[in-house]
Amino acid sequence: MKKILSILLLSVLIISCKSEKKEPVEKEQEVNIYTHRHYKPDQELFAQFEKETGIKVNVVNASADELIQKMSLEGEQSPADVLITVDAGRLVRAKNNGLLQSVKSEFLEETIPSHLKDEDNQWFALTKRARVVVYNPDNVKAEDLSTYEALTDDKWKNKILIRSSSNIYNQSLMASIIANSDEATAVKWAEGIVANMARSPKGNDRDQIKAVVAGEGDLAVVNTYYIGKLLNSKNADEVKAGEGIKVFFPNQEGRGAHVNVSGAGVAKYAPNKVNAIKFMEFLASEKAQKVFAKANYEYPVNTKVMPSELLQSWGSFKEDTLPLSKLGENNKKAVLAFDAASWK
Amino acid sequence: MKQILLKILRDSNKWSIILLTIVLFVSIPILSIAFNALNGPGESWGHIVHNMLPNYLKNSFWLVFGTSMLTLFFGISSAWIVSRYQIPFAKQLQWLLILPLAIPSYITAYAYAGFFDYAGFFEKIIGFRVDIMNIYGLIFILSISLYPYVFVASRAFFVNQSNNIIEASKILGASERKTFFKLILPLARPAFIGGLILVIMEVLNDYGAAKYYGINTFTTGIFRAWFSLEEPETAIYLSVILLVTILLFIILEKKQRKNTAYFNSVKNHTEVRKLELSKKWRYILFFVAIVPFLLGFVIPLLQLLFWAFLTYKDVFTTSFFTIALQSLSISLVSAVCTVSFALIFIYASKWNRLQFLKSFEKIGVLGYAIPGAVIAVGILIPSLFLDKSIVMFFKNNLDIKIGFLINGTVLILIYAFIIRYLAVAYSPIEASSLKLNNTLVDASKLLGKSNVFTFFKIELPILKPAILSGCILVFVDVMKELPLTLILKPYHINTLAVKAYEYASDELIAEAALPSLFIILTGILPIVFLNRLISKS
Repeated sequence: MKKILSILLLSVLIISCKSEKKEPVEKEQEVNIYTHRHYKPDQELFAQFEKETGIKVNVVNASADELIQKMSLEGEQSPADVLITVDAGRLVRAKNNGLLQSVKSEFLEETIPSHLKDEDNQWFALTKRARVVVYNPDNVKAEDLSTYEALTDDKWKNKILIRSSSNIYNQSLMASIIANSDEATAVKWAEGIVANMARSPKGNDRDQIKAVVAGEGDLAVVNTYYIGKLLNSKNADEVKAGEGIKVFFPNQEGRGAHVNVSGAGVAKYAPNKVNAIKFMEFLASEKAQKVFAKANYEYPVNTKVMPSELLQSWGSFKEDTLPLSKLGENNKKAVLAFDAASWK
Repeated sequence: MKQILLKILRDSNKWSIILLTIVLFVSIPILSIAFNALNGPGESWGHIVHNMLPNYLKNSFWLVFGTSMLTLFFGISSAWIVSRYQIPFAKQLQWLLILPLAIPSYITAYAYAGFFDYAGFFEKIIGFRVDIMNIYGLIFILSISLYPYVFVASRAFFVNQSNNIIEASKILGASERKTFFKLILPLARPAFIGGLILVIMEVLNDYGAAKYYGINTFTTGIFRAWFSLEEPETAIYLSVILLVTILLFIILEKKQRKNTAYFNSVKNHTEVRKLELSKKWRYILFFVAIVPFLLGFVIPLLQLLFWAFLTYKDVFTTSFFTIALQSLSISLVSAVCTVSFALIFIYASKWNRLQFLKSFEKIGVLGYAIPGAVIAVGILIPSLFLDKSIVMFFKNNLDIKIGFLINGTVLILIYAFIIRYLAVAYSPIEASSLKLNNTLVDASKLLGKSNVFTFFKIELPILKPAILSGCILVFVDVMKELPLTLILKPYHINTLAVKAYEYASDELIAEAALPSLFIILTGILPIVFLNRLISKS
């Protein structure tokens, strides 16, 4: 018992020492980041920002939903300066909940294309991912593919692999379909996809690609980002799976392929607003964008930076320039449409 | 009215006050959730009832039912075998069988998905693929990772069960089978039901595994309503329905066994004499007992080791050691705090003489039934209110600008863990205290000793195994905990579970293996250590 008590005391000491040490000093420059991104390149970029500016970066990692909930509960006293999410929908939600503020930054406004930012400059995209069709070249020819809408064709019965509708990227794709047509059409589309599914939706995007290679279906709808991850996996079998498929960008004749973004906005009650803007400008800079593009298989938003070689090898493509704010506005309608179509 | 007040005044003692304080302390988040639920669900409620609810109910029911059956089978059979029969490695199996608890069930789910995956080990060895990502697979995963709750509770009972009950039964001519099914099993009910309730709550709370396997349950529904439909009020409404269902279940169970008193003759309190077996049966029973360990621990562990081998170079950095240490200390402090709380709760409730206060006792276990993310909100609402008031007070009256005093500290995280895991510590201790022989306690009181003195001299030593079981379970649970930690943790503290989650949520499941292995490792050590203490006492 004594032993346990002493261990206990020791650990309390350790924790309390730690917290004392990191207590923010009055004049220290800092910026508090609430982020859904927790990638290694991000951490390197944060460290680089600290080094260049002397501004300390404090990071809270959690899913965007939880961060938004936290920020709205914290209200005016929230320590958050910047909110970073991995989809546009959540940024729109944060804006609608009054959690973000408009910022003035010539650099951000010039660098980031208008459809990739909020009309009131409350948030800006940092990186892009395209939601594409991947297919097994043994069974499918690129000529057979055309649009997202054409995937409901009877010829794809039991051939399509796609994940659950609780996934935000599917919700955003659906939101873009609603924005380009209407809800009834969208429900019909979802029903068509459900009817053509090779199996009940499960797993993540990587699992869909592996299932194509394993022969469970002929094509899958996935994010480009995960194809990159798969091809650079440490597991040789996963790399093989990544090499077994080909990428097709849908709707090239029409509105373009659906893109989603990872982006950031300055918090409404940011205690370090100036640092927050500096931080966001840094992330949109060529230097940082190169890191995003190279290490994380995402498309840069800064047009001066080229995507990675892997992404270039899939060819350039036309992207849907629907303002991303529409994705957030239609998100709830998208979920209701999925439910109506019994898309799990 | 006056009479009632007088009666309350007469019957209340210091324990009533302590009990009331604890009840309030524990119920703050639950009350704040309940209060929120009074506002009713959001506008999509009709849509959910129409399109989703039947499916949620059906899946959750089968999940609970299937997992209950399978955990009872695995847990009771292995507990009985290791405490009753002479089989090879019986001593080691006693703690090996608890080890699956060290692996978070969503990690087990990922590991098995990898094991049965395209080009996974199963396909490579056996030659074909089996689809595990369905409801049967999920029942299997949850059962093999949760059966230790039933195992620990039943074994504590079997070990303490006086040998003479078994012998009396044998002398009266009952067969081994009859003794087990007619005597031991009914007597062990409070113990294994206590374990089973924990299993059921864990099943209802599971989010990660069900989501990955594509099964829509009540809990995935709560998250969908909250985050996809953006209606927190609907989510809270759904979780209150879930909560009330669980509460009814607990009350029903309690009522059923109310009239059964469990007395033990302490004089003959000897350990169960282990039965010798024929060679054939020795190996059959050994096999039956070891299977849950192999399925729940060895296979997922091997899969994780393989992944960790592929990825450790990228994942293992110096910060890893710090994170591991932080996880460890937080879990340890939380475990000890939670168990102390459970003890005070149980005994304050026993010694307090106000009848109506006793009915509040069950509030203590409610936290376990609420999804972690919902508890976090239940805590954030009142604590932020308090913090904001303090900040405003200092700003307006003293013109001093201060930050939050409660939020973003370790304190609030530990508070959250106490509320979430009180039931885990409470169940084994309560089950044990129920079968404690009252005559000893009565004798001590007749001799003029106080409640507290009697507790430390008589009850505490007897309850020690149960207390340590509670400690292990809470420790391991906190090591694995995710949603609460994500929302409430301070900036500078990170846990292994959070690290593993970060990788897994980015579909880097192989990279999540190393932090998972650390969670498992730090879970194993206390299990082994405390198990030694139990067998010594």
